Amino acid sequence: MSDDRCEVTVTVNGEERSLAVECRRTLAEVLREDLGLTGTHLGCEHGVCGACTVAVDGAAARSCLMLAVQADGCEIETVESLGTEEKLHPIQQAMWDEHGFQCAFCAPGFLMTVYCLLRENPAPTPEEIREELSGNLCRCTGYASILTGVQAALSRGAAADA
Amino acid sequence: MREGLAGKYVGAKVRRVEDRRLLTGRGRYIDDLNLPDMAHAAFLRSPYPHAHIRRVDIDSARRMAGVFLVLTGADMARLTNPFLGMMALDGLYDPVFYALATDRVRVVGDPVAIVVAESRRVAEDACELIDVEYEPIAAIANMAQAMDPMRPPIWPRARSNVLWEDSQTYGDVEVAFAGADRVIRERFAQHRQSNQPMETRGSVAEIDPVSGELIFHSATQSAHSLKWSLAFLLERTSVWRSIRELATNREKPRKFVVGARAFIKSHPDLRTATKSSQPAMLKQLRREPKRIVHLSEALLGLLAKDPSRRPRVLAQDIGGAFGAKGLVPREDVALATAALQLGRSVKWIEDRNEHLMVGGQAREETLDIDVAVTSDGTILGLKVHMTMDVGAYPGFPFNGAFFAQMVKVMMPGPYRIGALRFDTTITASNKGTYVPYRGPWAAETWVRERMIDVVARELGIGRADIRLANMIGADELPAAMVTGPPLDVRMSARRTLEEALRVADFDSWDAIRDQARSEGRIVGMGLATFIEAAPGPPKFFDYISPGFSALAGVEPAHAVLEVDGSLSVITQQVPHGQGHETTLAQVAADELGVAVEAVRVRYGDSSITPFSLFGTGGSRSAAMAGGVVTVAAQELRQRVVDIASDLMEASTEDIVIEDGHIHVAGTPAIGVSFAEVAAEAVRRRPGSPSDGAIRVTSEWDGGAGGWAQATHVCWVEIDLDTGLVTIPRYVVVEDCGELINPAIVDGQIRGGVAQGIGAVLYERAAYDGDANFQAGTFMDFLIPTAMEIPDVEIHHLQTPSDIFANYRGVGEGGMIAAPAALTNAIEDALAHLGARITEQHLPPARILELAGVIEAEAPTEVGPPDYSAAAAVPAPRPSLIRERMPTLTPAQAQAVRRTATSVRSGARRFADRYAGRP
Repeated sequence: MSDDRCEVTVTVNGEERSLAVECRRTLAEVLREDLGLTGTHLGCEHGVCGACTVAVDGAAARSCLMLAVQADGCEIETVESLGTEEKLHPIQQAMWDEHGFQCAFCAPGFLMTVYCLLRENPAPTPEEIREELSGNLCRCTGYASILTGVQAALSRGAAADA
Repeated sequence: MREGLAGKYVGAKVRRVEDRRLLTGRGRYIDDLNLPDMAHAAFLRSPYPHAHIRRVDIDSARRMAGVFLVLTGADMARLTNPFLGMMALDGLYDPVFYALATDRVRVVGDPVAIVVAESRRVAEDACELIDVEYEPIAAIANMAQAMDPMRPPIWPRARSNVLWEDSQTYGDVEVAFAGADRVIRERFAQHRQSNQPMETRGSVAEIDPVSGELIFHSATQSAHSLKWSLAFLLERTSVWRSIRELATNREKPRKFVVGARAFIKSHPDLRTATKSSQPAMLKQLRREPKRIVHLSEALLGLLAKDPSRRPRVLAQDIGGAFGAKGLVPREDVALATAALQLGRSVKWIEDRNEHLMVGGQAREETLDIDVAVTSDGTILGLKVHMTMDVGAYPGFPFNGAFFAQMVKVMMPGPYRIGALRFDTTITASNKGTYVPYRGPWAAETWVRERMIDVVARELGIGRADIRLANMIGADELPAAMVTGPPLDVRMSARRTLEEALRVADFDSWDAIRDQARSEGRIVGMGLATFIEAAPGPPKFFDYISPGFSALAGVEPAHAVLEVDGSLSVITQQVPHGQGHETTLAQVAADELGVAVEAVRVRYGDSSITPFSLFGTGGSRSAAMAGGVVTVAAQELRQRVVDIASDLMEASTEDIVIEDGHIHVAGTPAIGVSFAEVAAEAVRRRPGSPSDGAIRVTSEWDGGAGGWAQATHVCWVEIDLDTGLVTIPRYVVVEDCGELINPAIVDGQIRGGVAQGIGAVLYERAAYDGDANFQAGTFMDFLIPTAMEIPDVEIHHLQTPSDIFANYRGVGEGGMIAAPAALTNAIEDALAHLGARITEQHLPPARILELAGVIEAEAPTEVGPPDYSAAAAVPAPRPSLIRERMPTLTPAQAQAVRRTATSVRSGARRFADRYAGRP
């Protein structure tokens, strides 16, 4: 299938990567399969659930609806860029403290949505948070703990790290 | 960072142990597993709900570059044993079928072939090259069609699409109905729902390149159930070959037989139970003699199989399930077979469309109910007829009929109901498999709580008053449900109701609602109370299915002091969001006097976890696993203390373990560590310490057990321009005994309520009148977002008790009660418009229809015939528009029609926007 391969150069979590990928493959697939960044999850592959949300040039994007070639020249940030198990990002820390998630399959998408939201709007109102998060589905929590987690992150100045 | 003081973890909001890896994207969900040289599978699925397969041509697909293997139903019939339902219910037809469709397809999405290729993309491309000739058959889309004798049976051997009919009577129903002042009847219909965890199903069949052993990685709720099901179903062997194997190598089956014999010996009830169900099993065999061949091949094959040929099942992080991952997927059998044939590892991850079509659907049940009451509102008895549409392929090993039994037994709930007749009709349809979904028996609560409101309305009695008058109070306990299960002195449903009425200021509600109405606002409030057997009274499952307690009623666990001095708890539970790595560690840490971080909870690997077929489900983990971990940790502590007392030359009673430090009371400066105790234990122990320095295996039967209970109160406000229902306030008052981790308890309740709200206002696994699936994406099956789910206010009660391990489950309760509280609130809000809520699915357009704002469309799904010969057919209620039309001028009438049309399209537009459609 070498004839329908495309050259893609992307900066992923601060590191420039050049890849030859099948043109029809999505950004999510390339992140997960070629770059081993399995934190980005695929929940519906049709752009509704938001589990695959990553930051593309700082804006939240569904990596399941974006072809890898479309990301050529872009800067991509995934959940792996936020914090480590030893040193959580303030948003992750707040979610941990507030029992934000249960099965946590949706968590990477929510975390990246919150990360992008706070970068764009460091002081969102509770209504703005709810509305912004309405693009991500969670089946376990009923959302309350996630919203509390965002508030906790805000009150600790997480926006400064976004 | 420390999570608090050792000895005090139970009851604290300890942060979850699993979260660091999950929040940083380092979890190991099934799709994250990538093995060297792993191939990928995709399934070709039927586009028809019901058709004969005349021909399958796989040649072009097989020849495609990058394709390794294509298997069809014919291959499955050759290589595997069929799924054989073994629900021994008298007269139930339980079908025999293979992992892939053989001669006919029975549901849209029925797997016809599996393609294994170098990538998922190539496998999907190859699926398109498979040529299948179908000959469509009339489909069964609803209960009425299933009961139509002119329609073809989906399972020809069943000779009908009615798979089972049953009638059970408890108490003296005739006397109850003869003594009634009124008999009030209603029909309630639950729509087809679906669990839809954010992670779909999926597995990786790994073949060990050296031994050829099958390691089956899977997102499953029960590792052992999946292991033994696969062992039973995979690698069909002829009876003759198995007998030859057994004759030449008698050692082979020895361990299996010894193990099985020990299990049966330790569970004497199992024998009695199987004895009582033998006639039903024999009847099934007589009806379909081929079953004897299949059963012999499967069972003898299992005996003759080298134990290393039994798969090892491994589950790691799982992205939710809610019941959908407790059964054995047909796809798993095809996948494992393909991997064994190829001798290489193969991955299959279901996509969302597949998961919506065939990943599990639930709750399509219609209940006709007659209530015998006196004029003062005393409920004397019930007659209930439940019709359940179980779809095409039954779940394995649990099919819908099992859950129908649970609805029946739980029907009286916490009420003083002295007589019950419960009839069951199970119908087949060309729809997805009926699976358990978070409180699969919840129809009993919805119908009972909805019906109590109907009775209150009919008799002109208050909704709280009628509940208080009929609900069993503390002064009447212990008592028993008329269906059998005892209600112990801790059954506190009535206390939750009384507290909820107080919290909600129920007495003021009518005035508030009427005031709001006078201001043009449509508001309502609904109540619902339930009890749940989590774990239930001792031997609860025997009331559902005799002998089942022996299989499901005992929870095992290991507690291990490892050689390096660390501590492990090994459970058969397979957590998938419930946080067992934290809660079970909390329980063990308190017993052992160590920090919660010091206890590692291990799960999911059938080669190390203790045997149980139950896995995680039924809101049982807190009570059953919490209980057994307490027992095991106490015994491990005793063993540690025994050795420590020798090392320190002190009496065992004087040994204290605090903060992970073992010392003699009063002299904390001198002590020994767990590592030193472990080293001493290894010295004393003969043989290899591969099982750890000290290993304790315990079992727990739930002890005194008991009930979890709650009352939910839901407030709604309805916009009659759009049909939108908003929930300004939602209260839960619950009693689940002692809370292990309050944050996790609250999370379970909130999540359950959210799914209940979703089911009522948004979600439906819809089919058209020809059984074509209509909800194949998340733009059709609408899961509520943060915008739709309200804050849930939770109040905890705890009935004082000194029973051992006073934990009861909360996993399902939120979803059991929420549909009842919400639909009761909606009827309260719309009552003055004449609306009667008898269905559970109430999207905006339906709200507008019920409120008479727009005219009703003909229903697409048709229920069973009315079961009461005496039942009068209610006249269709005229809509407000039609009623008032004659009084309007032609111009006004035109305006009303235009408004109605625009409201309807507005509602659709809302749904579109909500779903993100352009």
